[in-house]
Amino acid sequence: MKVEIGNSASSAPSVNSLGAGLLLRVFMRSLFLQASWNPRGMQNLGLAYALYPALKKLYPERERLNAAVRRHLTFFNTHPYSAAAIVGGILNYEERIARGKEDAGKVTEFKSALMGPLAALGDGFFWLSLKPAVGAACAALVPMFRAWAALIFLVFYNVVHLTLRARLFWVGYTRGDGLIQEIGRVDLPARGTWLRAVAAASAGGLAAWLALTFGANEPGYLRWVLVMGCLAVGTLAYWFVARKTPKYIVLYVAALLAGTAGAVL
Amino acid sequence: MDPWLEITLSGFLGGLLALERRAFLQAMFSRPLVAGTGMGLLLGDVSAGLAVGTVLELFHLGSANLGAALADNETLAAAGTTAAAAALGRGAGGSTAAIWSAAIIALVWLGPAGRMCERALERYSEHLAEKALLSAEEGDLTTAIHQNLWGMWPHFVVFGLFTAACAQAGYAVSHYWELLPFWAARGLAWAYPAMTSVAAAVAVRGSHSRRAAAYACAAAGAVMLIGAVRGLFQGHP
Repeated sequence: MKVEIGNSASSAPSVNSLGAGLLLRVFMRSLFLQASWNPRGMQNLGLAYALYPALKKLYPERERLNAAVRRHLTFFNTHPYSAAAIVGGILNYEERIARGKEDAGKVTEFKSALMGPLAALGDGFFWLSLKPAVGAACAALVPMFRAWAALIFLVFYNVVHLTLRARLFWVGYTRGDGLIQEIGRVDLPARGTWLRAVAAASAGGLAAWLALTFGANEPGYLRWVLVMGCLAVGTLAYWFVARKTPKYIVLYVAALLAGTAGAVL
Repeated sequence: MDPWLEITLSGFLGGLLALERRAFLQAMFSRPLVAGTGMGLLLGDVSAGLAVGTVLELFHLGSANLGAALADNETLAAAGTTAAAAALGRGAGGSTAAIWSAAIIALVWLGPAGRMCERALERYSEHLAEKALLSAEEGDLTTAIHQNLWGMWPHFVVFGLFTAACAQAGYAVSHYWELLPFWAARGLAWAYPAMTSVAAAVAVRGSHSRRAAAYACAAAGAVMLIGAVRGLFQGHP
């Protein structure tokens, strides 16, 4: 995908133009992007909130500041992590607009062009690949590491999440329109495929391990009744869920059947 | 710890987790495995937190808020169910698989209930957005910008109250838990592994992998093989 908006040649500001402290402040405020998510403007309030300190510095005149804030109170919605790239990119644009080197409408075009693709990228990698993979893998670690599995979850997930979020912000700020090429180089979709396989394998392995563990608590033949029962329930549940049976119904039916067996046997 | 203090603390943590999930950071403190473990640690019953958290983590593994679509609120389900299970275990004299099952069966619906609450709270956020636009038009930028932060408190209060109510319910039920006949407690204990198996199957499906079933079967087969070999060496049938 190629997006050409504005003047990329002049899109490499130095940190000094806004200052490292102010950039950090904007980044930290961007973590509140969804605080007032609403169906009409979606993340518009969060975006304006994140950008406000930078806009205040770039536009000392009241009129220009007002106009800048209002152009970021329009509809905005993307993935909350990949939004960091857009926030960084907006700062890049706003610096040029403040210096009179760019038309104010270009920053709106930049947002509109990127929020859809970055939402798809973020949803696909973070929500539908990284989160299930780390979640399933760490759930599989619970029998071994107990409560530490939760800590491992947080560390593994956030090493990737926070690194990429900060990196995206920096790339957006320093490269402006060039961030598309930078993001493309990381090839997140290919990594997502591998992560989804990890999630599936972890869940399958954990199901078998738990069946063996629960079975070990029962004496004699009941051990194998429980082990095979758990595996049969898991297989049937997969079959039903794959055929769009609501997962809550499958859960309740399985609990009822197993509960009846436990009460009677 | 005093039960009322525990109920208050569980509500406070439930509210914070709701904020982390929706409004701030999204660093997965609100995922069931982490939220359940955290709530279990807070209420002195890590086993309940891990047992509930693992099942609900798997059960909600593939769900996510995509675009404007809302998924079930797995955080409320995990925090509320763990709070109830821990309180029930405390009152009943110990954490058991029967208690975990009872809590999950009774409170797993908190997921969809939380989603409906979130949808209802969006109306308040919409009102804030309108106020922000109006303030910006009038030139009051500070008011306009700070509307963003006002969107957080309803989530904290509503989900905190839900979680505290679950802990309170756990304590209330614990007085009657010993009246449960043995066969019913055994039935509930057997329901827990069945629900774990269902949650794992839902997780395989929710992994979004194109060959999910193949990967899951291969991993399950490997684990069963290792278990069988271990059993053989240890002299189990």
